[in-house]
Amino acid sequence: MSRTLLSIRHLEVPEIESLLQLSKEHKDRVLNGMPPAPAASRTIGLLFFENSTRTRVSFEQAANYSGYRVSNFIAEASSLSKGETLKDTIRTLRSERLDAVVIRHKSSGSAQLAAQFFGGPVINAGDGEHEHPTQALADALTILEHKGRLDGLKVAIVGDVLHSRVARSNAWLLEKMGADVRLVGPPNLLPAETGKLPGEFYQSLLPALQDADVVMCLRLQKERMMEGLLASVGQYRRGYQVNRETLMVAKDDCIVMHPGPLNRGVELDDFAADGPHSVIGEQVENGIYVRMAALSWVFGESLAPVKAKAAKVNA
Amino acid sequence: MKIILKQGRILDPSVEMDVVGNVIIEDDQLVEIGPDVPVEEDADVVIDCTGLWIAPGFVDPHVHLREPGDEHKETIASGTQAAAAGGFTTICCMPNTRPVLDNPAIIDFILDKAAAPDAGGVFVAPVGALTLGGNSESIADLAAMKRAGIVAASDEGFPIQNARIMSRALEICKELDLPVMVHSEDLTLSADSVMNEGAMSAMLGLRGAPRSAEEIMVMRNCLLSLHTGCQVHIMRVTTWGAVEMVRQAKYLGARVTCEIAPHNFCLTEEAVGEFDPRFKTTPPLRGRNDVDLLLQALADGTIDCVASDHSPHAAYEVEVPFDAAPFGMAGLESAAAVTFTELTHKGILSPLDTIRKLSTAPAKILKLDAGTLQPFETPVAQVTLIDPELEWNFDVHRTFSKGKNSPFQGKALKGKVLMVFCGSEIYRDAAFAPSREQVRLQLRS
Repeated sequence: MSRTLLSIRHLEVPEIESLLQLSKEHKDRVLNGMPPAPAASRTIGLLFFENSTRTRVSFEQAANYSGYRVSNFIAEASSLSKGETLKDTIRTLRSERLDAVVIRHKSSGSAQLAAQFFGGPVINAGDGEHEHPTQALADALTILEHKGRLDGLKVAIVGDVLHSRVARSNAWLLEKMGADVRLVGPPNLLPAETGKLPGEFYQSLLPALQDADVVMCLRLQKERMMEGLLASVGQYRRGYQVNRETLMVAKDDCIVMHPGPLNRGVELDDFAADGPHSVIGEQVENGIYVRMAALSWVFGESLAPVKAKAAKVNA
Repeated sequence: MKIILKQGRILDPSVEMDVVGNVIIEDDQLVEIGPDVPVEEDADVVIDCTGLWIAPGFVDPHVHLREPGDEHKETIASGTQAAAAGGFTTICCMPNTRPVLDNPAIIDFILDKAAAPDAGGVFVAPVGALTLGGNSESIADLAAMKRAGIVAASDEGFPIQNARIMSRALEICKELDLPVMVHSEDLTLSADSVMNEGAMSAMLGLRGAPRSAEEIMVMRNCLLSLHTGCQVHIMRVTTWGAVEMVRQAKYLGARVTCEIAPHNFCLTEEAVGEFDPRFKTTPPLRGRNDVDLLLQALADGTIDCVASDHSPHAAYEVEVPFDAAPFGMAGLESAAAVTFTELTHKGILSPLDTIRKLSTAPAKILKLDAGTLQPFETPVAQVTLIDPELEWNFDVHRTFSKGKNSPFQGKALKGKVLMVFCGSEIYRDAAFAPSREQVRLQLRS
């Protein structure tokens, strides 16, 4: 049975658990040098309406390790920029016999619309300001590796929460898994009403960082200043930068995360980015394994293909 | 030809009439009405109206007919047919077509099309654009358009931001005795917005329009009305703040009225659900608190009338991501029934007040020859026959409008328009079985 992975908001806890378990198993296999599972001769369309080298490369690597073929559709180079509607693009890809679609699009809700027209496995690689589920899974896997659990952890998500799909997906995932989620940022960069979002909202940094096990920075887009939502980078830095000083109130063994690309010196200082707390590089690597898990999950493949193969041989 | 509507509940807010009686329509004219009107033997058609309401034809002050320019969404022919099916006998068409209704020639075009044989047989009262091409800078030749037949002027679709220009336009319209229908939206506050700013927009990651974007302009327009003395009609109020502004303006003696669209008194931002573009409109669907206070304002009369804000779109235009979808909902064929269901049957409005909001009030605001059942008060008989108890489900596949983008698809409704006369019979519901009427057609020589 095929599935879609469109948002964390709609996932049940057992689904999140099985995705994280799958991710771990994929990671073990790759790190132990096991060969990819026998190619199921499946082709995955990577449909990127928005530029994203990082997420696209991560999905390509995930597909490579799993033995899937990849077809890249990048907006500038295809009919995507010729005024074709999303519906027609997706229907075309279905007719091209692609087995799954990974979509990144500037519009919130676009992944769901794509799934409606594709009628098969679709993975959301970021839809507007809504969700970025594989990023949240990568972050959760990273936290699990360091803390051994998600339940009961104090997690501060810092920055432009209003416009961040990473913040939404992470907050949903962590709250569902029992963490104490705190969202903090300048008032203009927090939603006006927060009643339908998970987590507690804070307007000043230190109370949110107090005793935190995990500190997640969000990327600050330059255009927010043009919109007048932010007085100056300096003001943001003074109020909300995660750095050597502000991390003092967090737990000694707290980890610092950032989905990238970093504005070094704005969201975080060199100490936070490169120092002993930083796990930013691991987040990127874990992105590959959770995307492997996401692909096998949407195809409805069972856990642990290596063991399954061994069992088959014995039988 | 003499038609008798027999033993119906006659609801005529123009004279506060609510009695059971008969109505006689003879040769396109409404000639007699009342409890004591005899059922004459020489009638051609006698329709048994027991249990039905006989009301003046409905008046819709706010309809987008889309022609010229967007005939794929709606045409004057299809839109007027939809109006008739919705119980309307007079509709005002908005000027933000392509090209814009900003000169007398294009007003002639609208009126010609509305009178063509393929049209629905309702009166179309055009609303002229306040500025040329909707540029919000150069005021159009409103006097010439008034001679051509506009009943009001509006900045619909191109809300005038510059208060000085709006003030000048109101001075001109006051001189011409032309009501101004205003689209109250501060575009700097609503920039990039696609729904209400609230908990739903925060969850879905969609840009929200704050209530202040509407309220600031409602306040400005009320004050400009007060100071220029021009009659101003606020289109589509959706927040309690906007209603409070109108209440204050009325209290201060300004010639201000306002309307509400059915979707704004019965749907909230929750309806957007998982990015359903059928629920995208401007001003947007608001919160539960707003709706509760809007219902109060309907009951206490601060909101003068109901307008469909019929905004049809082609199917492919709404099969896109939410932020790329156009604003607006089709509404002509659901407006009256939603009003019966949500306002009358829920005790917000009496039957007489329901008809007032749908007919008499908008006719009075725009000085239209409509909204009354009094004999010879209108150029031709405008009568809508309603079964207030009939339960049915709204189905866009059975509507006349080309726009199937209704937020009420599948909604269970109570109360239905059965027959509409605008001079002659222009609409009869398929569910209105001939068994209910005793036809005694005698062709007169």
